[in-house]
Amino acid sequence: MLRDITLGQYYPGNSVVHRLDPRVKIIGTMAFIVALFVVKSFLGFGISFLALAAVIAVSKVPVKYILRGLKPIFLIIILTFMLNMFMIDGETLVKIGFLHITREGLFTALFMATRLILLIIGSSLLTLATKPMSLTDGIESLLKPLRRIGVPAHELAMMMTIALRFIPTLLEETDKIMKAQQARGADFETGNIFKRAKHLIPILIPLFISAFRIAQDMAMAMEARCYRGGDNRTRMNGMKLGKIDAVAVILLLLFLGVVIAERIWL
Amino acid sequence: MKQLKTRQTKFWIQAALIAAVYATLTIILGSISYGPVQFRIAEALTVLPALTPAGIPGLFVGCLVANILGPYGAIDMILGGGATLIAAILSYMLRKYPILVPLPPVIVNAIVIGMMLKYVYAVPMSLLACMATVGLGQLVTCYGLGYPLLKILGRYENIFK
Repeated sequence: MLRDITLGQYYPGNSVVHRLDPRVKIIGTMAFIVALFVVKSFLGFGISFLALAAVIAVSKVPVKYILRGLKPIFLIIILTFMLNMFMIDGETLVKIGFLHITREGLFTALFMATRLILLIIGSSLLTLATKPMSLTDGIESLLKPLRRIGVPAHELAMMMTIALRFIPTLLEETDKIMKAQQARGADFETGNIFKRAKHLIPILIPLFISAFRIAQDMAMAMEARCYRGGDNRTRMNGMKLGKIDAVAVILLLLFLGVVIAERIWL
Repeated sequence: MKQLKTRQTKFWIQAALIAAVYATLTIILGSISYGPVQFRIAEALTVLPALTPAGIPGLFVGCLVANILGPYGAIDMILGGGATLIAAILSYMLRKYPILVPLPPVIVNAIVIGMMLKYVYAVPMSLLACMATVGLGQLVTCYGLGYPLLKILGRYENIFK
């Protein structure tokens, strides 16, 4: 059952967006999120949508994949939309029985739903077009200036890499433990919510012990190979800012400029 | 000096494996782990800082990795990770009082994620109601599963060394 899980949502490709420096992509995504909160009109959302659509087109990630990210929150978007539409008071547009749809309600509902959809598509595009490993490298590099105030940038990035690497191993381990416990008569399906939560303990404890054993062996192996933190370490695929990154930054600044101008003057 | 270095490597690797366990548990129960009304079994691990300080970076990175792999992307990564980090530090500080250890993740997540629901996802409930729903889910996992876990793992102290 656990073998069917797809890990992450990276969509392999070799587009310009895939080849961009991960740091540029991370900062770009954050800027896009901020921009969505700066925007106060549908014109602004229109501009953001066009920008996002352009990036998606360039990235060649199929639209089907991108919309899949919206599936889990589809129900919530609908629910929020309905509640906003019916609950907010104002000038009545349509009346169905005891339900009123007001102008203000309709506006708020559309506005919030648009923002949420753009937000999720925008931020999932980052993980769709960037390998988790490059993302880790990007985060390490962006955190480097914070080393001065004691943020362990290299260690955090190393932890992320190791965690990503061991998820499949631990998934398999969990599967084995669950089967072993079920064979011994463990019951994961009955009782109230507190009881059910408690029933997971026979899975968690062996999983932990096994994880800590792995940690023990791994630390020893790393020491034996003279690991000594990130100092003077070189990389196989170093990150270098290139021409496409410069173009991307210029386009990003342009987009931010337009959004801010739209907010101030329109 | 050498001894110290070895301890350090081990500390970070232990933290990394805690992160991996957190992410694994979140992924296995994917459909109920993410999203506005979430029920993350992995949150039971928030009691770990009471047993080993490696739990603090471990939980932070675990939450980060789980959210990188999850469907919500950047926002969840930053806010969820931040909330987990604060809660983990508070739990570590309360390690002398086992009954209070699972409390910070309940409160901090209720506040931060509740606010995220209200202001980012615009869930049309009052702020208090948003916080209450998140807090309730956390209460079940942190006290229902986390607290017994803390008691039992306490017996295996030698694995944390």
